[in-house]
Amino acid sequence: MSSTDQNSPASDLSAPLNKPSDADTSADNESTTHFGYKTIEKDDKISMVAGVFHSVAKQYDVMNDLMSFGIHRLWKRFTIDASGVRPGNKVLDLAGGTGDLTAKFSQLVGREGKVVLADINSSMLNVGRDKLRDKGLVQNIEYVQANAEYLPFEENTFDIVTIAFGLRNVTDKDKALRSIYSVLKPGGRLLVLEFSKPENELLNKAYDFYSFNILPKMGELVAKDGASYQYLAESIRMHPDQETLKGMMENAGFEQTSFKNLTGGVVALHKGYKF
Amino acid sequence: MQPFNNQAVTKFSTQLISRLLLPQVATATLELIINKALALNNNKSLSFSAVAQKTLTLELAELPFTLCFTVNTTPNQTVVIVRSSTECSDCTINTSISTLNKLKANQSLTQLIKQDELDVIGDIKIAQQFANIAQSLEIDWQTELAKHLGDVPTHKLLQFGNKITKSLAATGKQVEADIGEYLVHEKRLVVTSSQLNAFNQKTKDVANKVNSLSARIDKLVANIANK
Ligand SMILES: C[S@@+](CC[C@H](N)C(=O)[O-])C[C@H]1O[C@@H](n2cnc3c(N)ncnc32)[C@H](O)[C@@H]1O
Repeated sequence: MSSTDQNSPASDLSAPLNKPSDADTSADNESTTHFGYKTIEKDDKISMVAGVFHSVAKQYDVMNDLMSFGIHRLWKRFTIDASGVRPGNKVLDLAGGTGDLTAKFSQLVGREGKVVLADINSSMLNVGRDKLRDKGLVQNIEYVQANAEYLPFEENTFDIVTIAFGLRNVTDKDKALRSIYSVLKPGGRLLVLEFSKPENELLNKAYDFYSFNILPKMGELVAKDGASYQYLAESIRMHPDQETLKGMMENAGFEQTSFKNLTGGVVALHKGYKF
Repeated sequence: MQPFNNQAVTKFSTQLISRLLLPQVATATLELIINKALALNNNKSLSFSAVAQKTLTLELAELPFTLCFTVNTTPNQTVVIVRSSTECSDCTINTSISTLNKLKANQSLTQLIKQDELDVIGDIKIAQQFANIAQSLEIDWQTELAKHLGDVPTHKLLQFGNKITKSLAATGKQVEADIGEYLVHEKRLVVTSSQLNAFNQKTKDVANKVNSLSARIDKLVANIANK
C-alpha cells in the first residue's frame, strides 16, 4: 500500500506523535471509530484494516520476528502455557492470521480435538493455510473466514478461544467479546494477547520512540509498506489499557478475569472464563 | 538493618524469571533440541503410540517452573512439545537434579520415593514409557556431526559423548527396572507427601468445579426468574 492511497492508514511517516486527546479516545460514538489516530466512519474501518493486512500478509511473519526481535514467539508460548489446553479440546484461534497459535494447539489437542483458525482477511488465512500445510499440520485444523463481531458458530462450541494481536483491529470490540462469550462452552476460557500500556514511564517513552520512528521505517525498508506499520503503531496506542480491557471483558459476561503483563506491560495477556 | 528475608528473595526471583519469560525461553530451547534429536533417530521400529498425546511433567527443585513434555504423533512425524504449565499432566515427577544424580549412582527409585526425594503423581507407567523411548533412540552422531564439524573433531567429541551416553543409558535402565519393581512391590504401601498434595489439589479442583457449577446454576435460575 502506498502512502498516497486514498485508504492509506497514515500519510506522513515522520509526523510526531499526535494521539487524539483522551476525550476523543474515551468512547466511539454511534457512527465513528478509530483507525489508528484517525477518526473514521465505522463502516469504513473493516475495509481499511483489510487493506493493511492484505498488504502485509506475505511479509507478516518476517516482520513480526524483526519488529519484536523474536519475542512475539515467547508471548505466544506464554499464551499456550496459560491456556490449559488438553487432548480432545476444541479451540478457536480468532484473528489467527498466519496461524502461530493454531500450529501449537493443533499438536496439543491431537486427533480427537479440533482447532479453528478464523480470520476476516483471506490473504492472511491463505498465508496461514500454506504455512501450516508445509509443516504437515492438516488433520485437525479448519479455516474459516469470519468477522470476530459475528462469529458463525453455534453457542457453547469451544473450550478455549484465543485472540492474539487481533482485538485492537476490530471495529466494535464489545460486540466481538459478546460474540466470543456466546461461542465458548460453560467452563471455557478466553485469552486475549494484545499490546498494552507499559508499566514504567521510561519504558513507555522508549517504546513510543521505537514504534513511531523505527518501526514504520523498518516496514518501509523490508515490506515496502511504512504506512501500514504506522497504522499498527497508532492502533496499539489507541487500544484500551489493561484495566479497561478487563472491565470490557466483565461487561461481556466473563468471570474470574485477570491479566498478566509481559515485557513490562508492552503486551498483556487477559484471561476470563464463561460459567 | 532488616533481616535477610528468604521468602521475599524467592518471590522476587520467581517474579523476575517470569518477567523475563525464562520458562518460555527454556521450553523453546528444549523443544528445539529434543525434536532435532528425534529427527535424527534411526530406530524406525520405535513406536510412540503408547505416549501419543500424553504429558509428562518434571518439577525440579532447582527450577522455579515446571517442564511438561507432550508427544504428538501424525502419520508423517512425531514431535515433542515442551511447555511450562501446571494444568495438563498425566504423570508428574517431583524431584531435584541432585536426586537424578543419585539415581545415576545406582540408588534405587523406590528408596528415593520412600525418602521423599522423588515423588510421582499420576500414571507412573507414562514415566516408564517416556524413559523407554529415550533409551531406544538410535542416533548416528558420528555421521551427523562429521557433516558439520569434520572427522577428527567429531571423533574426539564422540569419545567424550560415549562416556555420557553410557552413563545415561545405565540411568535409564535403572529407572525402568526400578519403576517395574516399584509398581509390583511398593506402590500400594507408600503414601508420599506429593500424593497428599495431589489429593489436596484434586479436592481444590473439585471445589472449583462445584463453584463454577453453582455460578452457572445461579445464572440459569436468574435467567428463568427474569423470563
Ligand atoms: C496482527 S495480526 C495477528 C495474527 C496472529 N493472531 C498473530 O498473533 O500472529 C491481526 C489479525 O487480525 C485480523 N482481523 C482484523 N480484524 C478482524 C475482525 N474483525 N475479525 C477477525 N479477524 C480480524 C487481521 O486480518 C489479522 O490477520
